[in-house]
Amino acid sequence: MSTKKTLMGTPMSDRIFNIVVYAFVIGVMIVTLYPFLNVLALSFNDSIDSVRGGITIFPRDFTLKNYELIFSFSSLLTGFKISVLRTVAGTIVGLISASMLAYTLSRPDFQGRRFVSVYLALTMYVSGGLIPFYFLIKDLHMMNTFAVYIIPGLVSAFNVFIIRSFMDTIPYALQESAKLDGANDFTIYWRIILPMSKPALATIALFLAVGQWNSWFDTYLYNGSSESLTTLQFELMKVLQSTTSGNNADIHNPNLTQVMSTVSPESVKMAITIVVTLPILLVYPFLQRYFVKGMTLGAVKG
Amino acid sequence: MKREMKWSGLVLTTTLFAGLLAACGNNNDNAGNASPGASANPSATSSASEENLAPLTMTFYSEDPNPNWTNMQDEVGKVLTSKTGISLDAEFAVGDPVQKSSLIAASGEYPDLISAKQSISKFVDAGAVLDLTDLIDQYAPNIKKVFEGQMGRLKYSEEDPAIYVIPSYSTVGQQYFNAGGGFELQHRVVKELGYPQIKTVKDFEKAIKDYLTLHPKDENGNPNIGLSLNADDWHMYISVTNPAFLATGGADDGEFHIDVDTTEVTYHFRRPEEKEYFRWLNHMNAEGLLDKESFVQKYDQYKAKIATGRVLGLIDQDWDYGDGEKALKAEGKFEYGYGHYPVTLTEDYKEASFWPTGFMAGNGVSISKDNPDPVRAIKFLDYLASDEGQVLMNWGIEGKHYNVVDGKRVIPEEVNNRKVNDATNFQKESGIGNYNLLSAHYGDGVKDPTGNYYTTSFPEQIVAGFNDVEKEVLAAYQATTWRDLFPKEEEFKVRPWGASWNIPVPTESESVVLEKKLQDITWKRIPQAILAKPEEFDKIWDDYQKELLAADVEKAEDLREELVKARVRMWSE
Repeated sequence: MSTKKTLMGTPMSDRIFNIVVYAFVIGVMIVTLYPFLNVLALSFNDSIDSVRGGITIFPRDFTLKNYELIFSFSSLLTGFKISVLRTVAGTIVGLISASMLAYTLSRPDFQGRRFVSVYLALTMYVSGGLIPFYFLIKDLHMMNTFAVYIIPGLVSAFNVFIIRSFMDTIPYALQESAKLDGANDFTIYWRIILPMSKPALATIALFLAVGQWNSWFDTYLYNGSSESLTTLQFELMKVLQSTTSGNNADIHNPNLTQVMSTVSPESVKMAITIVVTLPILLVYPFLQRYFVKGMTLGAVKG
Repeated sequence: MKREMKWSGLVLTTTLFAGLLAACGNNNDNAGNASPGASANPSATSSASEENLAPLTMTFYSEDPNPNWTNMQDEVGKVLTSKTGISLDAEFAVGDPVQKSSLIAASGEYPDLISAKQSISKFVDAGAVLDLTDLIDQYAPNIKKVFEGQMGRLKYSEEDPAIYVIPSYSTVGQQYFNAGGGFELQHRVVKELGYPQIKTVKDFEKAIKDYLTLHPKDENGNPNIGLSLNADDWHMYISVTNPAFLATGGADDGEFHIDVDTTEVTYHFRRPEEKEYFRWLNHMNAEGLLDKESFVQKYDQYKAKIATGRVLGLIDQDWDYGDGEKALKAEGKFEYGYGHYPVTLTEDYKEASFWPTGFMAGNGVSISKDNPDPVRAIKFLDYLASDEGQVLMNWGIEGKHYNVVDGKRVIPEEVNNRKVNDATNFQKESGIGNYNLLSAHYGDGVKDPTGNYYTTSFPEQIVAGFNDVEKEVLAAYQATTWRDLFPKEEEFKVRPWGASWNIPVPTESESVVLEKKLQDITWKRIPQAILAKPEEFDKIWDDYQKELLAADVEKAEDLREELVKARVRMWSE
């Protein structure tokens, strides 16, 4: 019952609550932002000086040499091209296929609705494992192709269910009235449901885009030897993991002195990390407004 | 109506576009892959005298990472392609190589050349690699010359004497001209104490203690540290556990000690001498001479600490702490650099870093059964093993990376500078160092017919690389390089099995699992033993030994002994 009104008009308990929330959020912000600023600072710092440690959010010995070095790697340019290509293509195609399936599953008059939903849900819990999947890709002749980035991961059950839940909130009356006006299923999907599902689509688009941008393991497994199909993340991985893996036999590698002397210095690794993360970082703010819109849109519906 | 067409048009375009890219990706690689039509006829009809130089691309997979690979577009690579017509489409493992190797071995489709290191057993079991005995005999005179007298060591096993691997990691005739291991002390420490004898752990300890009494803090008021250990993950082997056998007269045979006369195998932590070594480390900790953070610091924290110049002593290899020392040298603090000393537990032991193994064979390159032209492949590897090829790979191109002055090969100073200070870029541009693991080659100290060394690591070059402080310290100990302080190879009996960590372990063997379990126990107990109070050391050690026995250490020893004995039998034929 502490509704002691202050001069401002807000009760004391509210103000304390606000302060606590702000403090917590600021704390989280620092914790998440600091490592990134640290990486940024290290990337602008001279490599020998970086070894001395102690760099926090400002570079101590500013240099652009690390970035100069990176931009001279021709493989990064190819990687950039392919990464952008697969992100854009993968996202668009993935969105369309997921939303189409979601629409089908949201229609109450679809006979196989329950069966397909259960079947799809199963794939979220069970998978064949790495080796059978590898064989499958090989047998489908998708090794060393661009298609292996898009086609195997085309439909994700998780995405489909999210979009479907959103579509379920759209009143069925809209679809019925459209049918009365002579629209077929595809028209309803394309001209009515899809535009109304923008918030859900934006969310899934972001998941897909980030997923496509960040994946390197599929490049490693299937396109490892194709110079022309390398992705930015794979290049980053190669540079970051250039030290020996720590196998007991590895430490006896007589070439070790030479191997270790050509390991990229910390600051070069940091610079590549920044270069690889920056594009997706720049795209994110533009998609963010759809989230905000999406939060409020679903609440008010006639 | 129009709007609908525009949308569906967009969908169709996107899908077609994706499909087009798929086709594009395929085409690009088809053009690059080996086209058997273009190359000459396979082995059946090729005559030995006809040199086929038609361009042929082979795929190559290696378990070792190489971020400096440039698709043979570097200077040396281009020369190699022009001499043999072969270019390599290479793929290097990223992260855990064993996973990738297992996938490739299971897939049934193999790269043309494979460097599988310890995973070779998987490929042999899958029938993926060819027996190279006849190919080497008929088409590889240079490889035969390099391995003269040692061809027996290339055999895979007693049951399967085929040659699957051309060893490229172990070198022939290797001589070590410098020492990068042992125990390290900063130059300023030995200088100020008047260059005392540093032969035993007691000498080492005394030097550190005396210097700390004189200089407990550095000029900024930060405390100096006596000894810091590098225990981050696998670095534990280098800095904490391997020195235990090296300092007690045990050679490096991985986690096992093998008696050179009886071939009896013991898990090396069970030796009583090593108990005393770890007791000494415990004592160092009790005296406050050991860095308290040794077992919690990460690798870059360790290097940063070294870069501050406050760490007086190390037990490590030069390539492991090198970055830290480089930072000190960049500031001109040459007296803060480290010298290498052959420290042992007591005067009774010989420091065993250089216990000779003879030619070790082991890891190298295999030719897979999917290779379109094994004859050209072996000829390519043979060229790399030839005198001309080895000089090309090690020294580079005459006139560019080295000059011949009065019959001697000399590296110009700017080139050497780049090699040391701009190593990554230099390797990418020149290609020196990119091809060394592809074929047989001689080691340091072996001279070619022109009287020059095959490699760029030889006494004069090494001495030229020392700075003035290092030369001063070496002179005070009557040595030219750090190697001179260590026992000579002649003082040891050559190990008839080479090195135990080199022996391929059959896939069905239990060794791998057992040894991992033992390693987990060791990595937990050793730090515990070192950091405990001296009174508790014996109890912890006894518990540790009991735990090892419970984990079947004797079975691991027996399994390993079988492998070692088999190799001794095979190699002594």
